[in-house]
Amino acid sequence: MILSPDKKNQDLLGTLVEFAYAEYGSALEMLAAAKKAKSPKLKLGYIRHASDEYRHTALIFKVLSNQIKKGVGKFKREYKFSPQNVVLKGYVDKEGFLVEKFPLKKFVEFVYSNEYLAKESFDYLAKRIGDAESLKTLKNIMKDELNHADDSEATLDAIQKDELIHHGMAKKFYESKFPNSKLQLAFKREKIKNRFRLFYYKNARFLNKIFDPILNFLINCFGKIVNLIIIPNTNKQNLMSSNPKSVV
Amino acid sequence: MFFLGISAYYHDASVALIDSSGNLIDFKKEEWLSRVKGDKSFPRLALQELVETHQLSEKNIASITFYEKPVRAWITVLKHSVKTNPISNELTRNYFKNAWRSSMRFQLDISKYIKLKKIPLLYSDHHLSHTLSTLYYYNSFPYVSVVVDGYGDKYCTSIHHVKSNNEIINLWNSEYPNSLGLFYSAITDFLGFAVNEGEYKMMGLAAFGKPTLYEDLKKTIKFENNQLIIDTKYYDYVRRTDRSYSNLLINLLKTQPRQPDIPLEVGEKDFQIYADIASSAQKVLEELLFLILKYAHDISKENKFLFSGGVAMNSAAVSKCSKLDFIKELNIPPSPGDSGAAIGAAYYGFINKKNKNLDNFVSKNNIKNNLFPGKQKSNEDFFNLVFEKISNKEASLTKASELIAKNEILATCYGNMETGPRALGHRSLICNAHNSQLIQKLSTEIKKRNLFRPTAPVVLKENAEKYFHLKKSLMNCYLHMAATATPKDEVLDNIKGVVHIDNSSRVQICDENLLLGKILMNLKKFNIEMIANTSFNISSDPMVYDKEDAFLAIERMNIKYLLTETGLYLRKNEIH
Repeated sequence: MILSPDKKNQDLLGTLVEFAYAEYGSALEMLAAAKKAKSPKLKLGYIRHASDEYRHTALIFKVLSNQIKKGVGKFKREYKFSPQNVVLKGYVDKEGFLVEKFPLKKFVEFVYSNEYLAKESFDYLAKRIGDAESLKTLKNIMKDELNHADDSEATLDAIQKDELIHHGMAKKFYESKFPNSKLQLAFKREKIKNRFRLFYYKNARFLNKIFDPILNFLINCFGKIVNLIIIPNTNKQNLMSSNPKSVV
Repeated sequence: MFFLGISAYYHDASVALIDSSGNLIDFKKEEWLSRVKGDKSFPRLALQELVETHQLSEKNIASITFYEKPVRAWITVLKHSVKTNPISNELTRNYFKNAWRSSMRFQLDISKYIKLKKIPLLYSDHHLSHTLSTLYYYNSFPYVSVVVDGYGDKYCTSIHHVKSNNEIINLWNSEYPNSLGLFYSAITDFLGFAVNEGEYKMMGLAAFGKPTLYEDLKKTIKFENNQLIIDTKYYDYVRRTDRSYSNLLINLLKTQPRQPDIPLEVGEKDFQIYADIASSAQKVLEELLFLILKYAHDISKENKFLFSGGVAMNSAAVSKCSKLDFIKELNIPPSPGDSGAAIGAAYYGFINKKNKNLDNFVSKNNIKNNLFPGKQKSNEDFFNLVFEKISNKEASLTKASELIAKNEILATCYGNMETGPRALGHRSLICNAHNSQLIQKLSTEIKKRNLFRPTAPVVLKENAEKYFHLKKSLMNCYLHMAATATPKDEVLDNIKGVVHIDNSSRVQICDENLLLGKILMNLKKFNIEMIANTSFNISSDPMVYDKEDAFLAIERMNIKYLLTETGLYLRKNEIH
């Protein structure tokens, strides 16, 4: 469930935030898979994968913070990490983790193709930060801070390396489990899904403009009804004798 | 037969299960299983686990109780918003748009997991659920129950006269938006901490400040003519969804709100002004709370109190309540917030079913026996790949004590979990409390917490008076860290690592039959009488739940030792 950065999209910070949540969602998915895995080795593999994804989440937020410090953009409240956003943004489906919803083959296909997409996206993201003149400034600041562990470029390199390992591991596992399967379809499916997500994100504001007046009209009508509703007062009453089936 | 109670959609979602004898036999928070901190969505995973563990079905569930009245909860805020804001207001629109995510969909959600045809679906009053969640642990009468939280269906504060299980009279309420909890949350938001999660950080920060802005903040909320009144001009929680304070409050405090991405460290720029704001808000909260408690006493004539709701988690304010001479006893449940209200909801179902037969009901419930309810599956089949077992079950506590005496830090993932937000030993990081450097390492290097966050001490009852000035009215609170205590001067140097800057400690007095109590008994021979204890989790994660979570946290926090119910383990030094 990776939201690939848009090549024309200027919102680098927003993309980083989405990336961080995608990594966080992936950590939760891997941990859920670990809990379902019967083989101890597979369980361990998933836990370690989850551990990497958690680390990436923190590191990407660090990169984001560094980019803000050097003036790439202004801090917005939505840049603050809030675990529940992973659900609200749809990176984790509360109706069920992937490992609950998919059979093993489809689950591994999903992980494999998304790791591939993540790797692709990271290449692009690293280039975007790497190419920018601002990265030089960032590096200089980093040099001054000898005790500061985070260097944006190095961080992204490390994450890229991890993603390569994850992709390699997923590929190896998939090929050993399902030797005669073809993955092209799964790859295409995930790519199309990602494009839809991106389309939705880009057009959400536009859609709001269309639907907001309709919503306002509905609220206006409903508001008048709501104002007529009298919520019963329970003062001086024995609360244990009120109607237990009432929702009001 | 079983009685299910469910809390969801607003704060941490949870499920509680009470059996036909009125015993709490299980409790699960959704965040433990989903691993999303503060998960408020319908507790699907928690419910599924309970259904599986206790083989719940329509044949053995007597009732399912939701912790609030959903339509009342939804309409109250909407009604206020429609009345006081322009119709296109952000809050109104948000409330309207998110109706399908609110508690009104409860019946739809629950029906996906349990066949409802034969099971009565009940709805308890939100604040009644809180009162019952406290009454469950302190089942003697009469009491006055004070519930202070952010907002629960219609009301923000309530006073109930608890005469018996069947007779709980609603004496007084403060209606939305006049809320002490939302006031505190708004200042939490101003200080750059997350609402519903960062309030305890603000409480810790308050100890570093002086209430220099108390007079200013006092103007914005008051208790007058027996009514709590908030001036909503200063608070945007009635208008906006993205922040809780208004520009007027910014002007009043003459400070810009803290940006959440800027670290807040002791001694750094702006630390003091934010600490002063926290301190001022804490003082306002305490004074208003005292007035509400006094009013509760006046109208009920009771001096035994039950106290619950989110504000009851403010252990600094709770400890100051001991100064109020009209309070003989103050009782707080281990989980006073909304997640604990699931216990109250389940108890409501139980009382509702038993009804008049409850006259002969003698509760065996008490805090000591109910700190770690439930059944938990344990999966250690992968442990031999990553751990070396250094001690079996029988010798593990002796060995753990030896390690603590050698100034090692241990993680525990031991049997069932604590119900509340405080780690009471089963999901803890523990070490020798007499070594302040070690505690600092635990707090800053391992937990990566800010320096202004305190670490808590655990002590046996027999030693508690030796170290702390304890208040008789708060004795039940000390069992689960609901109140702070002042250390005695003569021992201060010996335990300074667990004493906060305001000379307080959020002490846990531990029974010797509990895990930490047993370890403390073993530590006697090393002259260690106190353990430092903090929750076993990384700051943005929920507390560790099962063995997979425990190993993952150990890897991420770089901890060597893990104590479980099957033994003591040393992490293998593997290069990853």
